[in-house]
Amino acid sequence: MTAWIKVARYHMADPIAYLVGPWAILAFAFLINLVITKAQGGPNPTKALAVVYVCFFGLGILSTGRSLPFGLALGATRRSYYTGTALLAAALAAADGLGLALLQLAERATHGWGVALHFFEVSHILAGPWYVTWLTSFVGLTLLFVYGIWYGIIYRRWHRLGLVAFIVGQVAVIRVWIVVVDRGHNWGGAGFSFTPSAMRITAMFGALAAVLLIGGFALMRRVTV
Amino acid sequence: MTPTISVSGLTRRYHSQLALDDVTLHINGPSITGLLGRNGAGKTTLMRIIAAQEFASGGSVRVLGSSPVENGAVLRRMVLVREDQTLPRLRVGHLLRAASWFYPNWSSGLAKGLVADFNVPLNRNTRGLSRGMRTALGIVIGLAARAEVTLFDEPYAGLDAVARQLFYDRMLRDFADHPRTILISTHLIDEAADLLERVLVIDRGRLVLDEAADDLRGAATTVSGTVDAVEKFAAGRAAWDRRSIGSQASMVVSGVLDDDDRALARLLHVSLTPLSLQQLVAHVPGWSNSDPKENQSA
Repeated sequence: MTAWIKVARYHMADPIAYLVGPWAILAFAFLINLVITKAQGGPNPTKALAVVYVCFFGLGILSTGRSLPFGLALGATRRSYYTGTALLAAALAAADGLGLALLQLAERATHGWGVALHFFEVSHILAGPWYVTWLTSFVGLTLLFVYGIWYGIIYRRWHRLGLVAFIVGQVAVIRVWIVVVDRGHNWGGAGFSFTPSAMRITAMFGALAAVLLIGGFALMRRVTV
Repeated sequence: MTPTISVSGLTRRYHSQLALDDVTLHINGPSITGLLGRNGAGKTTLMRIIAAQEFASGGSVRVLGSSPVENGAVLRRMVLVREDQTLPRLRVGHLLRAASWFYPNWSSGLAKGLVADFNVPLNRNTRGLSRGMRTALGIVIGLAARAEVTLFDEPYAGLDAVARQLFYDRMLRDFADHPRTILISTHLIDEAADLLERVLVIDRGRLVLDEAADDLRGAATTVSGTVDAVEKFAAGRAAWDRRSIGSQASMVVSGVLDDDDRALARLLHVSLTPLSLQQLVAHVPGWSNSDPKENQSA
């Protein structure tokens, strides 16, 4: 068994958090939206699917913020820990993304579960053929997991002060970016057209995930526990 | 022969604070070594650097002949059990199962026995463990891993005297069957004294003592009696920690005493009490500062 696999298995030693957690929360959100849509009696293009992405973000934080010290105590290297964790993230995102794509197919076949609920179909983002939905979900879930890993690593390296600086830094960068783009009236050039396509968003998410993956590896190399 | 643990000129600086200052030590082959020192002396930092959980500011560390940093071949032959270990939120049984995947010499039988001995609840989440249970869990992992290099950092926090004795017994028994290099840091020096083959003492980041435990036993003695008698007995010997109340005095003299010394003590009516390892360690900074050789020649 390679070190990567051992690390992935270590995370999955208790599979409830990684396998059951996102789906349990998703099912809860789905049922609430189903009841609301039925009560409203009209189409409901909800964005509640975001909960599964939030779950992946949380799992990313957990995988390093909480589990890293013991992982290193068990003799894993930082490199193998990071690689094993990232591979687990990709595998979970691929499997759960497939689940989301299949549920979207079911939603379409049943005309919104019989009540016009658009839970698994999100306009412009998750609205194409099933394989594009799978790809977008896979990339998006991986991105959120790796983003969560960043929070865990930063917490481990620089503690709460580092986390605050990280969040403030992101807010500052986004604010500056918005101001610059807004002044130039160049939202299209900044990657946003006002009718975004799923593939374009997927490509942007993919590029961002790749940057975070590589950057996270560099961050992890000097982490101490 | 390649030392199991070789530390040369190791320094670790945190901003203006020097946590480790030019520490050099070598541990060869299977043994149980005590790493002793006060809180904040640098024991945990040293162990973390040996286990590659922390980075050195200067100097070098080699374990089993290689640097442990990002070296999977070395790290899977080493285990560090820490008092302040952050545990993932898993059931204890799952945690032990995960640990078994990482160590090639893991003994499930020993782990099972230790779990029963220490009453470790396998079905409980680590969040719900008491301090003593967390400690016991660390002991189970540290011993069942049967790693060639086993580092215990204050391994018995929260354990009562019975559980601590159980730990000593189990460790010695397993060490006899599966010899390995064990480095154990502790405050409970006298309790662990009989286990130790060698003693390292760290004080304010510096290694101030590195001796075989047998050489330390009886290496210093407290002499008590009247001021004159104690002064006469101590004349020409390395001595420190002089105390007196009225006509009575005591002081610590270094060196193994022979029959002539004991006869002199009887003649002077002074009492001789060998320092325990714990007392000796408490006196180490004074001992090293007093420079016994210089005093002897004075």
